[in-house]
Amino acid sequence: MVKKESYSDKILPMNEQALITDAQGGNLDAFNTLILHYQDSVFNTALRILGDEDQAADASQEAFISAFKSISSFRGGSFKGWLMRTVTNACYDELRRQKRRPTTPLEPDTEDGEEMDSPRWLADPNMTPDQKAEADEVEHAIQHCLNNLPLEFKTVVVMADIQGMDYTEVAASVRVPLGTIKSRLARARLRLRECLQGFAELLPASYRLEDGINVS
Amino acid sequence: MNQRDLELLSAYLDGQLKPSESARLETRLNSDPQLASVLTDLRATRNLLRKLPARKAPRNFTLTRKMVGQNPPLPRAYPWFRFASALATLLLFFSFGVNTVGRQMASQAPGFGMGGGGGAEESTELFSAQEAPAAAATEAPAETEAPILEMAPMPTQMSTEAADAARIVDTPAAKNTGEAENAVTEDQFQVQSPAPLVPSTWQIALAVIAIGGALFMMLVRQLSARRWK
Repeated sequence: MVKKESYSDKILPMNEQALITDAQGGNLDAFNTLILHYQDSVFNTALRILGDEDQAADASQEAFISAFKSISSFRGGSFKGWLMRTVTNACYDELRRQKRRPTTPLEPDTEDGEEMDSPRWLADPNMTPDQKAEADEVEHAIQHCLNNLPLEFKTVVVMADIQGMDYTEVAASVRVPLGTIKSRLARARLRLRECLQGFAELLPASYRLEDGINVS
Repeated sequence: MNQRDLELLSAYLDGQLKPSESARLETRLNSDPQLASVLTDLRATRNLLRKLPARKAPRNFTLTRKMVGQNPPLPRAYPWFRFASALATLLLFFSFGVNTVGRQMASQAPGFGMGGGGGAEESTELFSAQEAPAAAATEAPAETEAPILEMAPMPTQMSTEAADAARIVDTPAAKNTGEAENAVTEDQFQVQSPAPLVPSTWQIALAVIAIGGALFMMLVRQLSARRWK
């Protein structure tokens, strides 16, 4: 599996294990160095699971606080995987809170009931306005389809396909057997594919999907 | 297409199949266009997800010590000061309590003495009814006894008995009795205001330890917080 390049692939200024050990000894500065290194990955994961920037920022902050408080429980392995587990738990808490206190989005909805917020993160200065609009729409379509996935599928597909984690890393992070990860990922991809068919006109020609897949 | 084939294709896409499984699947893919089409779709979907740009965090999520409930490091002696100050405060309140109770007990003591005197009163009454002249004679020792009792450490009961006797016996010796009563009143006054059980110097010392300890701790906390920042 080819790992997707992400912010976490940047080289840490210090040895990660040394920073973790220092953080386990209560050194907040060491932990903050780790935060600066992983915060984009953590935020992206939260964003894709929750689909809302503010909530994702809150969940990321909560995740880092929780991670620092429980860092003594980290017993080696993939630190990124451990952090991902913490942030997904923070996202689940956030979703539970939302269920208890449902809120109305402030953004105006489009005719088909979807929020029409403009994703500022796609504002690549090299893009033409048309490209930007297209990218916005693709992003919006993907996020819409992700939002419709069951939570356990969404978590796995975000970790594997968006964060570029390998199966064993995802399995260790979600704490389910490898076979379950394979199954969830396959079904998540299938559901996403079906959902994205509804946005066929938005997708670049190379990604256009022709026929539906019938899985028995 | 079954679930098993879907999982095989998904895992194949990620290079997660064993070489033998991959070889078998590739043979099938060559001969089954529908299977090949599903693989293409899954690959396209995965590529779309991978194409999602990595977002930059909207702000730094670095933690402050306040956020994680960390307190500035305090000197090792700090807990001892805290303990000493708390103990001194406790003892100070305890000393006030002890002194108050002691004072109340002391003020109740003459009352008990009077009760005892009451018992003596009956017998003296009987005695005086029968031998009134002799009672006057017995008054003389009571009169002489009073000044001695003033010096005695536990004079209350005896002196009140003497007072009762003096009060009850309404004889020509009443003049002398009045003097005896005066002596007894002085004696009672001395019993009502005894020396406090915990001396005030001790209380002052405890107050100094309690307040001084608290001030010291406050200073140390502020200095530590300033140095920490």
